[in-house]
Amino acid sequence: MSTMKTTRDVRGVGLSIPRPDGPEKVTGRVQYVADMTSRGLLHAKLLRSRHAHARIVGIDTTRAKALPGVRAVLTARDIPELKHKAPTRAHAVLAIDRVVFAGQPVAAVAADEAAIAEEALDLIEVQYEVLPAAVDPLKSMQPGAPPVAELGTEADTSEALAHSAVAMAKGEAAPAKAVNISQTAAVKRGDVAKGFAESDLVLEHTYRVPMVHQGYLEPHAVLAEWDRAGNLTLWASTQGSFNTRSEVADVLGIEENRIKVIPVECGGGFGGKIRALCEPITALLARATKRPVRYVMTRREELEAGMPAPQVIIRLKTGVKRDGALMALEAETVLESGAFSGTVLAVSAVFLGSLYRWPAFDIKGSEVLTHKPSVAAYRAPVAPQTIFAIDSHMESLARALALDPVEFRRRHLQKPGEPMVNNQPWASNGAHEVLTRIAEHPLWKEREAWKKSSGNGHGLRGTGLALGGWLGGLQPTSATVKLNPDGTLAVLTGQVDIAGTNIALAQIAATAYGLDIDKVKITTGDTDVAPLTGLSAGSKTIYTVGTAVLQAAQNARQQTLEIAAKELEASVQDLEIVDGKVIVRGVPDKGVTLASIGKKGNLYMSKVEPVLGVAHPAFSQQAPAFAAQLARIEVDPDTGQTTLHDFVVVQDAGHAINPLGVEGQMQGGAVQSLGIALTEALMYDDSGRLMNPSLLDYRTLTAADLPDIETIIVEVPSPSGPYGARGVGEPPIVPAPAALANAIHDATGVRLTEVPLTPERIALAIAAKG
Amino acid sequence: MNVRKQAMTLTLNDELVEVLVKPYETLLDTLRETLGLTGPKEGCGTGDCGACTVHLDGKAVASCLVLALQARNRQVRTIEGLGTDDTLHPLQDAFVRHGVPQCGFCIPGVLMAAAALLAETPRPSDEEIRYGIAGNLCRCTGYTKMVTAIAEAAAAVPQGAR
Repeated sequence: MSTMKTTRDVRGVGLSIPRPDGPEKVTGRVQYVADMTSRGLLHAKLLRSRHAHARIVGIDTTRAKALPGVRAVLTARDIPELKHKAPTRAHAVLAIDRVVFAGQPVAAVAADEAAIAEEALDLIEVQYEVLPAAVDPLKSMQPGAPPVAELGTEADTSEALAHSAVAMAKGEAAPAKAVNISQTAAVKRGDVAKGFAESDLVLEHTYRVPMVHQGYLEPHAVLAEWDRAGNLTLWASTQGSFNTRSEVADVLGIEENRIKVIPVECGGGFGGKIRALCEPITALLARATKRPVRYVMTRREELEAGMPAPQVIIRLKTGVKRDGALMALEAETVLESGAFSGTVLAVSAVFLGSLYRWPAFDIKGSEVLTHKPSVAAYRAPVAPQTIFAIDSHMESLARALALDPVEFRRRHLQKPGEPMVNNQPWASNGAHEVLTRIAEHPLWKEREAWKKSSGNGHGLRGTGLALGGWLGGLQPTSATVKLNPDGTLAVLTGQVDIAGTNIALAQIAATAYGLDIDKVKITTGDTDVAPLTGLSAGSKTIYTVGTAVLQAAQNARQQTLEIAAKELEASVQDLEIVDGKVIVRGVPDKGVTLASIGKKGNLYMSKVEPVLGVAHPAFSQQAPAFAAQLARIEVDPDTGQTTLHDFVVVQDAGHAINPLGVEGQMQGGAVQSLGIALTEALMYDDSGRLMNPSLLDYRTLTAADLPDIETIIVEVPSPSGPYGARGVGEPPIVPAPAALANAIHDATGVRLTEVPLTPERIALAIAAKG
Repeated sequence: MNVRKQAMTLTLNDELVEVLVKPYETLLDTLRETLGLTGPKEGCGTGDCGACTVHLDGKAVASCLVLALQARNRQVRTIEGLGTDDTLHPLQDAFVRHGVPQCGFCIPGVLMAAAALLAETPRPSDEEIRYGIAGNLCRCTGYTKMVTAIAEAAAAVPQGAR
């Protein structure tokens, strides 16, 4: 543990401090990309395919080009960089001769006004030969299904590496026998057949979670501008400016040094703004017109052609003894990746096979391509879907065996040190602690009374809980900490602040250096000035960048003390920093101010070196983080309408650096989790067209749908995180689908295995039960 | 697109403004693109998300669904005119203290909806607050701190002060 002794009265780690950008945000002064302009700005629009799968026979842009105010119309023919077998969406800038999902861009326009660009789209004539589409992933896996990728296209596993950092036995990475299976993985231990044969109860269900959208309020937006020397500047709404730079450089075939990505305030990402999407085409339009070009996606485009979460289908079969002993688990996970590869396959196997202690398991996973928009991460990718399956299953087993559901989970929950499916040991975590804590909650203890109060003018009442978590992401990073000439401290990273992490990083720097938080400024630099860093994703910013800031601040402190030691003719060990001054411990009168040390580092003819703390760590140890959630609900048995009365989140934050920010993450994540549970689904017709491309029909939860979300922070320190901190962003989106299905089971006696848990599904299930 | 622009006046954040608009232009586009007030956001363009909420004659409206010409000779207030340059409105102040804004994109619309609610219902119940901002989608906060902040701001304003 890298905690160092801190000085007295330092306001830093552990305090609830509102984000410093609050005043700018509540006054509407914060600038997002769509709020920015540039002299001579042009507006871009994309013509998108209406068909999920079609051959492009011909494109005529003559009339569009002739429209006054139109400055450029591009098709694939105008972009020599484009190649067949595009490995990612970013590379497939415009469709070349075949479209593979409804919403795929076919042509691009830049014009003086957005309305002119829009009108030009109507003047582009595209002739399609419509082809059969693979819409259902289970059918798409079969031989003879309409092919999605060109044969020989490489699978994309980069996201999996950044996100979950779990090494897995992998199957074939290139398209296997069936052309639309783009990745497979398998893990096995023990004798599953024997386990089932010796079981008293074998339970099998197939769980389904449809594609859902991250639902960030700010649609994708980018502003691109080239200088005459061929250098590109991108103002981007991104979760990782260095990643955006790498992807755009790769697509355009230019050096990364020629691209500067300026990360603009990100209006929500949740995983959907990791990968490049509209940056390459906007850069190409700017290159073609030699003008700055801004592109802002519409909400309809976001829903039809964003990068949603994959549909996840899990067939799960388990065998147990009458006394509750676990015997065997068999599972097949299908991840529907849409038109391009890029899902996270390993997470599902880890939670299915090794959250609980299965002596024998056989788990297979496949990533399947379909003619739908390709997917990306969504906050704890594949974890809510997997926990929906395994936690629902554990609840069903406990009920079938008449065992206490919390005790049943607790008995089989793996402990730190026990092996995951890949035989790596579980790292230290607070899974047991959060489960214990939520079972002590009055709403859980009073669940029988709540259930008994059903009827008499009330609906059917029930309580459910679920346990889920996240393994913790890892990525190398770097940070600098410099002492200013007036004794204040400046922290620089390239880390995009999408979750209030900058204030927490400043708190870490303040505590590690020994200075009040008010004296610390933190800056997110662009890709030209900031040291390299990774994505703001996978709940790893505080865990990894926090460590870099901690080390850089300690490094700066050490340099400061060494300078002071010479001046005070004392040894470094005897010094401390108090109230902006380095003093000899116990002799407060004898000291040198930070301001004087800072000033000497920037004085003409001075021999004192400027204080510059630097750290650039890489990581190998994950810090899993768990949350348990509890729902108290009421179901109208006639309509199936569910009312959520109470919702509790218990989460292990390791050490809450800024509890106010942690609570915000827990509440926001919980409501996204509840959206997956109750209302959200991207719904496609048989031809692969989205049927609900608006926020009226794609229903995210509103304030009126919800109670207050109660938060309880548990702190089981991580051995390697800064001050024991763990990631907090992902865990709260994980448990609610299972918690709600368990609560509905408690209330109605029906077990639903497909979300969203709509009134229709609930009412039909109740009616079928009779 | 060769449509003639029309001149109109409106009172915008307490100042009389004259502006040229196209007949098909939305109030949101005029505010953002012509008048440079980028506080109101476009989250959907179809009136479903509430990020573009402004006051038109004191009532909360989705400015993406209002034509600019409909605001002729009327009072428009945006987030830029909720507080003053020196002082935050009590709602804004409560939002900052409670750490409500995360990504911040929905916040201008939520604040304008909440201000319109308090103008009509100075002491709203939690349920009235929840319904008062039900037209505003937020993806970051889960709404809990938002409701708390609005209730606190309402309680802080003396009765009859509005």
